[in-house]
Amino acid sequence: MTETLLSVSDLEKHYVDGASLTDRLLGVEPDRVRAVDGVSFEVQRGETLGLVGESGCGKSTTGETLLRLREPTGGTAAFDGEDVFELSGPELATFRRRAGIVFQDPFSSLDPRLTAREIIAEPLVVNDVGTAAERDERAAELIERVGLSTGQLDRYPNEFSGGQRQRIGIARALALEPEFVVCDEPVSALDVSVQAQILNLLDDLQDEFDLTYLFIAHDLSVVRHISDRVAVMYLGEIVERGPVETIFEDPAHPYTEALLRSVPRADPSEHGRRVDALPGDVPSPRDRAACFRAVEDHPYWDSDPLAHADAD
Amino acid sequence: MISPRTLRNLRSELRRSALAKLGVTLVVGIFLMAVFAPVLAPHDPTDQNLNDSQLPPLGFSTTENRTTSEFVDGEVTIVEEEVTVNATAEHPLGTDSLGRDVLSRTIYGARTSLLVGVIGALLAVLVGVTYGLVAGYYSGRVDDGLMRAADVMLAFPSLVLAIALIGLWGRAAIRIPDPFVAAGITPGMPPDIVLPGTVVLVVALVNWGWFARVARGEALSLRSQEYVTAARSMGAGDAFIIRTHVFPNSVTPILVLATIQVAAIILLESALSFLGFSGATLSWGFDIAQGRQYLSSSWWIATMPGIAIVLAVVGINLVGDWLRDALDPGIEQGEGGV
Repeated sequence: MTETLLSVSDLEKHYVDGASLTDRLLGVEPDRVRAVDGVSFEVQRGETLGLVGESGCGKSTTGETLLRLREPTGGTAAFDGEDVFELSGPELATFRRRAGIVFQDPFSSLDPRLTAREIIAEPLVVNDVGTAAERDERAAELIERVGLSTGQLDRYPNEFSGGQRQRIGIARALALEPEFVVCDEPVSALDVSVQAQILNLLDDLQDEFDLTYLFIAHDLSVVRHISDRVAVMYLGEIVERGPVETIFEDPAHPYTEALLRSVPRADPSEHGRRVDALPGDVPSPRDRAACFRAVEDHPYWDSDPLAHADAD
Repeated sequence: MISPRTLRNLRSELRRSALAKLGVTLVVGIFLMAVFAPVLAPHDPTDQNLNDSQLPPLGFSTTENRTTSEFVDGEVTIVEEEVTVNATAEHPLGTDSLGRDVLSRTIYGARTSLLVGVIGALLAVLVGVTYGLVAGYYSGRVDDGLMRAADVMLAFPSLVLAIALIGLWGRAAIRIPDPFVAAGITPGMPPDIVLPGTVVLVVALVNWGWFARVARGEALSLRSQEYVTAARSMGAGDAFIIRTHVFPNSVTPILVLATIQVAAIILLESALSFLGFSGATLSWGFDIAQGRQYLSSSWWIATMPGIAIVLAVVGINLVGDWLRDALDPGIEQGEGGV
């Protein structure tokens, strides 16, 4: 009964630092940033795949590359059997209608000069769907579906709260009736009280419109709440994949384990617990050697965490 | 495109700031003066009357000592007499060396200045903003190539470039029939408005680079906004994105720059007229050049158009400040739900 909607294999997105003229003359190999380095996963129709990892690990880049908002440097992504990276012209336009995106920042993702009505109807205008009256009707329908009222259609983004803005962003993503939606940290910029509302809304919409989500987040409790399966990313690679319960109850990879341990829990017995944070900063993906060292020096990599406590 | 919110901000800023009120008053005044010049001017500004030359403005009647020699009965008598040169209500701001009414010429001069300033700035906006938005939106090599060309234009001293271009193209004057005279409301006034066409083109060419720079900077920062990414994710083309998202969001700084450039262009036009390059003979700069020779005896000939230039430029700059102060916080003010 499960059917693979999106199958990503060996996705690569490397950024090459602009080589200066002298570098080129001297034949110096330009710096390569491996933002996404050989990522493979599958998303089944109707499920939510959570993609977690800390800041800078390449999860957002993965999402945007899948939607052809950035060009990949390698790999394939088969969407309903067709390689997304090969599409052009009308086929690309069709793909864009079938796949949508919800952004992290509800402030930067809505044009401050457009009204809610114009924002929600924009995908219809771009794709020349319906008449002006039909678009208005659709915008009204969508804004009500995401929990706002039609009376708010003529307001500007700065008249809405963060949560309301995110609802407008979701309405826009749904305007073209997509099958697949990339949710790029859709709740991480919101108040905790609002986060749950937005997550529930996303859940309801998934049931109602048969949506498939790629849910990108760094907040593990959020991912656990909404995902069916989880993929853990670290430094441009997927280190662990599996059903949500397996990952959370029995993590196989030491990085996943460290990530889980660092989550503060709402439990009185937790008071005063020392969180064994990962030492140091996330190594820059620019410096490959440091990345490998960071993995090797990982306190959870071997059995004795104290042996490396002063490593940094 | 002007939202009620924007209007609200403009109004409250106008109420708050005395300088903004002054600027708007000056600009509206000069605009009305230019439009209704034939009705307001007491005389035909080109009418010469040598009997009434160099009359002082009201309140500045002067007495001069004149020495005349008379030849009476084979004897030369030297007569020293005191002559009073009376200012008349006929010519409240006096007359110039050819007896033309200074007030009328100053009123008419507003037409040339405003026409050149506004049309020149509009042309510069059209060219510069399109150019800059394309450069900034595409960025990278397109940006490098386009902006270096714009920098080269800006590197020339504007007056020198303007004079060189006018020398190259000649002085084309476009005659527009004056509607008031054509309608028979003010017979006897000059029948045409003379628009120095080459000057308009030249001031636009000299100034478009500033608009290109500002538009490019805006586009460069706007292109990485998530709403632009969102538009691309729904399949919008570059032209659509520039039109719907990038341009409307960069209007404020462009508008502010445009007002300041109108003032700069008025100064440039006056400088060109002063140097005799514009071809307009009814303009503030031209009159200053004419009056310069008589500065010691008849200061008002050059001073009146000079004051007009100062008032126009100050007024337009104050309006620019008002727009900047009123429109800038327009986006940030009132973040909902905080």
